[in-house]
Order: sequence, then structure tokens, then C-alpha cells
Amino acid sequence: MVNPILLIAVPLGLAFALPLFGLLSKKLVKYIPVLALLFNLVVSLILLPRVLERPIQVFIGGFSPPFCINLVAGPVGIIFAALISLVGLLVSVYSIDYIREGPREKYHVLYLLLLTGATGVVLTGDIFNLFVFFEILCISSYALVAYPGDKPAIESAIKYLIQGAVGSSLALIGVGLLYGLFGTLNMADIAGRITSVKPISVFVPLALMITGFGVEAAIFPLNSWLPDAHSSAPSSISAILSGIAIEVGLYAVVRVTFTVFGASSIFMFLTFLGILTLLIGEMCAFSQTNIKRMLAYSSIGQIGLILFALTIATPYGVTGGLFQLISHTLAKALLFLSAGYMIYRAGSMDISTFKGMGKKMPLTSLAFTIGAFSLVGLPPFAGFPGKFLIVRAALAEETTLFTVLIGLALLGTVIEGAYFFRVVQIIYFKEGTAGRRKEAPLAALIPIFILMTLIIVIGIYPGLVTTLLNSAASELLNRFGYIRSVLG
Amino acid sequence: MSFLHNYIYYFGAFGLIFIGLYIILVKRNLIKIIIGLSILETGVNLFLVSIGYISSGTAPIFSRPEVEAARMVDPVPQALVLTAIVIGVAVLALALSLTIRVYRHFGTLNLRKIKEQRW
Repeated sequence: MVNPILLIAVPLGLAFALPLFGLLSKKLVKYIPVLALLFNLVVSLILLPRVLERPIQVFIGGFSPPFCINLVAGPVGIIFAALISLVGLLVSVYSIDYIREGPREKYHVLYLLLLTGATGVVLTGDIFNLFVFFEILCISSYALVAYPGDKPAIESAIKYLIQGAVGSSLALIGVGLLYGLFGTLNMADIAGRITSVKPISVFVPLALMITGFGVEAAIFPLNSWLPDAHSSAPSSISAILSGIAIEVGLYAVVRVTFTVFGASSIFMFLTFLGILTLLIGEMCAFSQTNIKRMLAYSSIGQIGLILFALTIATPYGVTGGLFQLISHTLAKALLFLSAGYMIYRAGSMDISTFKGMGKKMPLTSLAFTIGAFSLVGLPPFAGFPGKFLIVRAALAEETTLFTVLIGLALLGTVIEGAYFFRVVQIIYFKEGTAGRRKEAPLAALIPIFILMTLIIVIGIYPGLVTTLLNSAASELLNRFGYIRSVLG
Repeated sequence: MSFLHNYIYYFGAFGLIFIGLYIILVKRNLIKIIIGLSILETGVNLFLVSIGYISSGTAPIFSRPEVEAARMVDPVPQALVLTAIVIGVAVLALALSLTIRVYRHFGTLNLRKIKEQRW
């Protein structure tokens, strides 16, 4: 029997052992993250069919909950863990060749720590432990944003750090208040007792925790760090931040509101925030001339759409939201990875310098185009079923309000289409300076190719994913099932 | 008066938290903002400790038979605070080292003058 705790222990151990391997050989270092994440991917795929039947509980220290720190490997946790290790693996293969300057050992250590933190957040069943893993994720991402060490990177890293640190302090106050109220830190135990106190006294911790985790999830109005941080980090890190870090932040917000607090009365508020985030992100993205800033703003928009879909809080809505989350992770990773070498080739992040890139780097340009089309939601790519499910969920509500809201969401998609098609047009149909045809190196093309294949396969057979997501959605919506599975 | 006596730690903790937030929001010097961050974290830690505190309580170690469990302080918040302090140290160290780099690049610590990245 494979223990889910290996998903956290192995990358954490390897992250700290990595400098020792560096003593043996400098070349060995960059293959360690690949190994660790390959291991994680295999373990989470082995666990996946098993947790669909019954969530696996791990009690640390041998005490039974609520007295121990526990891991809950339910469908949501393992699906997220698999997604994190898949994208992490592909990006670590990409980094083998992409990261050439600076303290490379430290890059790989921080990279593994970031993914350990993300995996820990999605698996843990203890609210303080959630905070600790969240901090591991945040601190390593602050450091990774500053990795290039140039002016923009340092400036955006310090901005990100200040906002992130205030956010996590607020979340910690929320955890403290919850412990003061209930005398327990186990999420299932808190969830079981939440109705025993007056609603007003749980409102403050709820608000603090949504704000605290919302900073990392980049929910409007807490998103001002994101475009800076995502555009000045190395492209491989932008892919991870956009594809994983903000999704994990969103997971924390959703887990806290859905499972721990069961706060169905604020879902409507979050739905509005989601739509607002979507529209603001897409409109800002439209006016950008820097490719990475454009992609970063587009991430804000997508997070808004996912938040909107999740907080409809019907099985359709949550399934649609999770589907959109997966397709966004794959597409955004693909976009950042392919844009990374296009920027390298063009020597600038300005979109207008990408003229004629379709002839200079045909495969990379094709990858970028597929990512863009998938994000906009064109069939047969993975974005289409996601958006389709969300529209179906919103229309199934059969209220005028939701019809108007989904109309606004589709307006956001139209804006999204406009700026992505503009880039694609520049890449293929504008004559640029003649240049030699030279592709990205093989270590970059392999992950790009795998992501392209996944996007197309999921787009053609969405049933592969939706069956998994249905059980994940029922875990999120059925909080009593969650409480019972932990406390027995 | 007894109200103040019972809740004095909470007043102190939230006082520190609000002072920290005020400094972060108002000051322009990066070092001062980091000091504000440190005060904020101290406030949060004080708050966590005071949740489990019992007036004239003792450490939760069952070594002497005459000390009852009811007179022991709650050890869980203290464990939380230890963790939170370690995390705080990491954040502050990273913030200060980034500040050194900011000064090297921009020649100033005034955040109003550092604005190359904008919407």
C-alpha cells in the first residue's frame, strides 16, 4: 500500500538533500526535481483509483483525529496532487535547459519546495498545517520571482512579499480565532462544530481567511502583485505560478468556505467577486503590449471564471470550475513555456517583435496557438468543455441574475479571444525580419509537445476527466461526508 | 476594570496588529514597512499565545503530582507560535535581503520613487 505522505516527504527530503548531490556533481542537480516529481506523479496515479472509492486517511504520530495532524487524500486532494506533479514534472524537464544563469542549485531547491508546499496544502486535513504548507509555497515563490536578480524582478518580488506576508498574517489570525472558539485545529472537527456558535463569531475568522488566502489566489482587489511577479519571473516559474500557485490559493479559499465553514450565504458574494475579477483581468490584459504581462492578466481573468463557476455550488458548477481549472493549468503552462523561448529568440517581451515567428519557430508557435485557442475555449481543445460546463451550470440555475452573470463571463471570453487572436495574427501573418529557422531545444520541446497532446486529448474526450471531477465535486459539496470520513 | 484585566493580552495583541498594519499602509520607506511587518507578526504571535494562557498557570509537564491539569496552560498555541516565529524569521530575512538588492538597483528605499512596474 502506497502511503500518501510520500507525496510530501519525498520532494521535501530531496529538496534539502539536493545541495549534497551538488557536491557530487554539478550536472546531477537539475535532474533531481525531475526524479522527485516523476515519483510523485506515479504515486498519485496509483492512489487515484483507490481514493475514488474511499478517501485515504493518514494520521501522523499514531493518534486518531482530532488529536493528530492528519492528511486527507480524497478525490480533490489526489487530483490536485496529480495535476501539480504533472505540470511540475514537465516544467522541471523544461528548466533543465532553460535555467542557465544564476545560482542554479538554489533554483532547483526552491522549485521543489514550492511544489512540496502546494502538494501539502491540497492534502492536509489540519488548518494550521494548511497555513504552514501555504507559507512554504509562498516563501519559495517570493524567492523564485527574485531569481533573475534584475531591476523588475527585485521590485516585483518585494511587492509580492509584502502583500503575501500581510495576507498570511491575516490568515493566521483567522486560524487563531478558530482555535480560540473550538479548541481544535482539525478541519473536519471544526466543520462539525461550526454551527454550535453564533454566526457572527465565525464571520470574522472566515473574512480573515478568505482575505489571507485570497491574496495568493489573486482574487480582485487583492491581485495587484500578480502581473508584476508573473511577468518578471523566469518563464518556467511564471508557468508554475500561473498554473499551480494561484490555483492552490483558490483551493485554500474554496476548502475553507465550502468544507470548514459551510458558508453558503457568502457564495453569492464570491460569485460577484469572481465575475469582477474576470472582467478586470481580461480588460487589463487587452491593453497590454508585453506578452508575459498579458498572460498574467489573463490568469487573473481565468481565476475569476473558476471562482465564479465553483461558487455556483451545484454539482454542474463545481465540476465545470474544476474542469476549467485543469484546462487553465495545462494551457497557461503551455503558453508560458512556449512564450519563454519566443522571448529568448525575439530578445524582447514586446508582442510586436514576434512578427514572423511562425516561420522562425513553427513548432513553438503552433504550441502557443494551441494554448491560446484552448484558453479562449475553441473546440476541439480542453478549454471548450470547461467553458461549456460552466455555461450549462449557470443556465441550469434558471434565474435572471445568473443569466446576466454568464453573459458578462462570455463577454470576458470575447475580450480574451480578441487579444489572443491579435498575438496569433502577429505571429503568423505579419512579415518579420528574415531569420534562420531554429526551434527551441529538445528539453523544451518535449514538455511543450506533451502539454499540447494532453490539451487536445482532453478536449476530444472530456469524459476522461469529468468522471474524476464528479467525485471531486461531490467531496467539496458534501461536507458531512467529509466530516464523517475523517472522524469516523 | 476586571474586563480590562481579563482581556489585556488581547488588547495588546490587536493593538500591535493594528500598529503594524498602519505602518505598512502609511510609511514609504521599505525598512519601515518591514519593521511594520515584524510588529504585525509579533502581534499575531502574542494573540496566539494568549489564547491558551491561564493566569498564573504552569507548564504542561506531568512531573509533580500536586499540579493539576486545570492549572496548566494550553501547549498547542505555544507550538503554533514557535512555528509562526520560524516562518516570520524566514519572511523577514528574505525581505531584508531583497531590500539590499532594491537599494543596489534603485539607490533609494522610498517606494514612491520605485515604480517601474505598473498596470
